[in-house]
Amino acid sequence: MKILVALKRVADPDNANKVKIPASGEKIDTTGLEWKPNPFDEYALEAALRLTENGTQPKVRAGEVVVVTFGPKETETTLRAALATGADRAIRVDASDDKLDGDLVARALKALVEKEKPDVVLMGKQAVDGDSNQVGQILAELLDWPMATFAATIREEAGALLVGREVDGGVSTLRVKLPAVVTVDLRIVAPTSVYSTKTPSTHKYNDGVRFAALPAIMAAKKKPLVEVKLADLAPDQALKVSYHGFAAPPARKAGIKVKDVSELVSKLKNEAKVL
Amino acid sequence: MTALPEGFFEAVARDFPADFLSVDPSDLATFGRDWTKVHEPRPAAVALPRTTDEVSRLLQLCTAFQVPIVPSGGRTGLAAGAVAAKGEVVVSLSRMRRMNAVDVLGATVRVQAGAVTEEVHRHVAEHGLTWPVDFASKGSSQVGGNIATNAGGVKVIRYGLTRQWVLGLEVVLASGEVLELGGALEKNNTGIDLRQLFIGSEGTLGIITEATLKLTRLPGKLDVLLFAVPNLAGVLALFKEARTGPFVITAYEFFTEKCMARVRRHRSVREPLSAPSDYYVLLEVERAEPEALEAWIGSLFERGVVTDGTLAQHAGEAAAIWALREGISESLSATGMPHKNDIALPIQDLEGFCAELESVFEARYPGWEIALFGHIGDGNLHVNVMKPDAMEKAAFLARTHEADHTMFELVRKYRGSISAEHGIGLLKKDYLGYSRSGTEIEIMRAIKQALDPLGIMNPGKVF
Ligand SMILES: Cc1cc2nc3c(=O)[nH]c(=O)nc-3n(C[C@H](O)[C@H](O)[C@H](O)COP(=O)(O)OP(=O)(O)OC[C@H]3O[C@@H](n4cnc5c(N)ncnc54)[C@H](O)[C@@H]3O)c2cc1C
Repeated sequence: MKILVALKRVADPDNANKVKIPASGEKIDTTGLEWKPNPFDEYALEAALRLTENGTQPKVRAGEVVVVTFGPKETETTLRAALATGADRAIRVDASDDKLDGDLVARALKALVEKEKPDVVLMGKQAVDGDSNQVGQILAELLDWPMATFAATIREEAGALLVGREVDGGVSTLRVKLPAVVTVDLRIVAPTSVYSTKTPSTHKYNDGVRFAALPAIMAAKKKPLVEVKLADLAPDQALKVSYHGFAAPPARKAGIKVKDVSELVSKLKNEAKVL
Repeated sequence: MTALPEGFFEAVARDFPADFLSVDPSDLATFGRDWTKVHEPRPAAVALPRTTDEVSRLLQLCTAFQVPIVPSGGRTGLAAGAVAAKGEVVVSLSRMRRMNAVDVLGATVRVQAGAVTEEVHRHVAEHGLTWPVDFASKGSSQVGGNIATNAGGVKVIRYGLTRQWVLGLEVVLASGEVLELGGALEKNNTGIDLRQLFIGSEGTLGIITEATLKLTRLPGKLDVLLFAVPNLAGVLALFKEARTGPFVITAYEFFTEKCMARVRRHRSVREPLSAPSDYYVLLEVERAEPEALEAWIGSLFERGVVTDGTLAQHAGEAAAIWALREGISESLSATGMPHKNDIALPIQDLEGFCAELESVFEARYPGWEIALFGHIGDGNLHVNVMKPDAMEKAAFLARTHEADHTMFELVRKYRGSISAEHGIGLLKKDYLGYSRSGTEIEIMRAIKQALDPLGIMNPGKVF
């Protein structure tokens, strides 16, 4: 199976250098920010690796995992890390973060999919910076492919994927014929969430995303990473979304200490009005 | 509650705000002990001053009434230094957490002793600075406690102990007199440096109320690596390689699979390696050129110095690797009862020492679980003997007490220390003689006598 994984880098919220917004409110000041892969996209990569291996022999890849990101040269760090974790090839679509929106990314991905012809496109359900939750859905529509969003489990079948999605009140299970677009939720990296046809059903993965092993980190230097011009994939670079202003959320008020439970209850009732 | 001299409560009630002193049983239980769980907390009261002046007036009263006190910080101490088990008044600095503006030019900051270590880090990070006293309890420990224990931690190999990062102190003596020691000067050779006496004094000489901290620039780019090595000799062989590696070492920590297993039992863990290893080394380095670092790593694999490993690919992964190491103390306590020892050895003797230690363990604790970890780059070993689940606490403590003598005899033989960084407190008091001579202990007592003639400051601790 050949899988294309879309990876976005996002500002690391745990970093000491927080996102800053200049007084004009025009844009976000990205100087000094540290970056990390969007967690949901990391989960998508982990799912792709699980789908292209026998879980008991994770060093052997059965199939191909291609990772793609949109961004400036520095985003290649994110791609190299993905190669170290197990992806086979990487593509960087040269672009500047503030000249992209979900629609443009989806259109460019469509062109890339037509070239690469993967069986599955996997990505996170959304990026934690903009929380837009659009690219997977727009891409499926443009390709006219089956789609499963918010995947919590994936089981490979012949020519199809059986996808479990957590919905209100239970799990809905979809069988999508390949090729398909799947976006993943956080439970996809639980120990028994993803099975390829090669992985025995008794196998349990470690919880979470795998770390890259040192020898693989070094071998990743030699894996192919190519740059593609955005214009070659999407000649029309007009954006559908335009941002009109940014503002930092109001600072949190300091907490207070209450004397006893009855004071707590009274405050919850009369001040917070949540009871 | 133990009785205090008649009139003491009335005097406090007259001179201090209503919420100054608590005798609430839950406060007594909380403030009466530190991280250790060996002694039952039994303080007579807990005082919660807001200013140096309140501390001073309280100590005047305590001197007048001859009331013993226990200075108390974040209560994360591991030597039972902040334990009040004999009807003392606990003086908690937890309301004294003011932090002044950072002096960016001088790279200093003045804080009250109750400021939490991690709050200080946040406060100064805005200016690209840090106070490099760093360990797992930083979210609760206080500057005053750090200074009173001369705390070490995971960055000692790079920055040294707390002592190196304290320029000035304000302390209150048992008499209530307030002393300003050192100010904000880097250089001040004017006789015996009294400030140094209070650093590491574990609350026996006076109460630290404010400190001027020396700061340093936040480190440059850090890389965090985790390695699998087969045994302790492998930990030391890798250390030798790291010493000459193309970077500045900021941390060199090791832990065993037994520690990892306890962490796994306690909380969910993101497995760092594809398979568990008997010994792990966490190496953090600063200012490594990626190519040079990789060449160095490559040669480790070629020569079989390490068998597996990972390099954090971004800050989140680095934090996840650190969490494994930093979670150990908490996970050991959450899943069982550890008997902790914190010893230091000259690094070149570690291997010989550990080989002999092995035989002590076999004789004293046949088949028991022993969790080893530590700041091995400083020759510092944390030895945690876990209580067998079926054993009574009292029998366990008796057994470890006995075995400690055998272990400390070995420490003495190798010219090590029976307490590398946690201090002596109540817990290691009986063993002080293994590391300090009779004359040294006499001099310590004489110093205490000079500063605290009535012996009301943390009585019964250290010596
Ligand atoms: C998970 C964990 C990890 C740890 N890791 C390390 C480590 O790596 N390295 C290390 O060195 N320690 C470590 N410790 C031990 C402990 O956190 C440190 O010793 C810390 O500096 C204690 O600070 P505290 O404010 O909690 O002090 P407390 O426990 O409250 O007090 C410690 C001693 O200092 C005295 N004291 C406290 N405040 C004052 C004051 N204002 N004036 C005078 N005396 C005072 C007390 O009387 C007592 O004797 C660890 C503890 C835990 C729980």
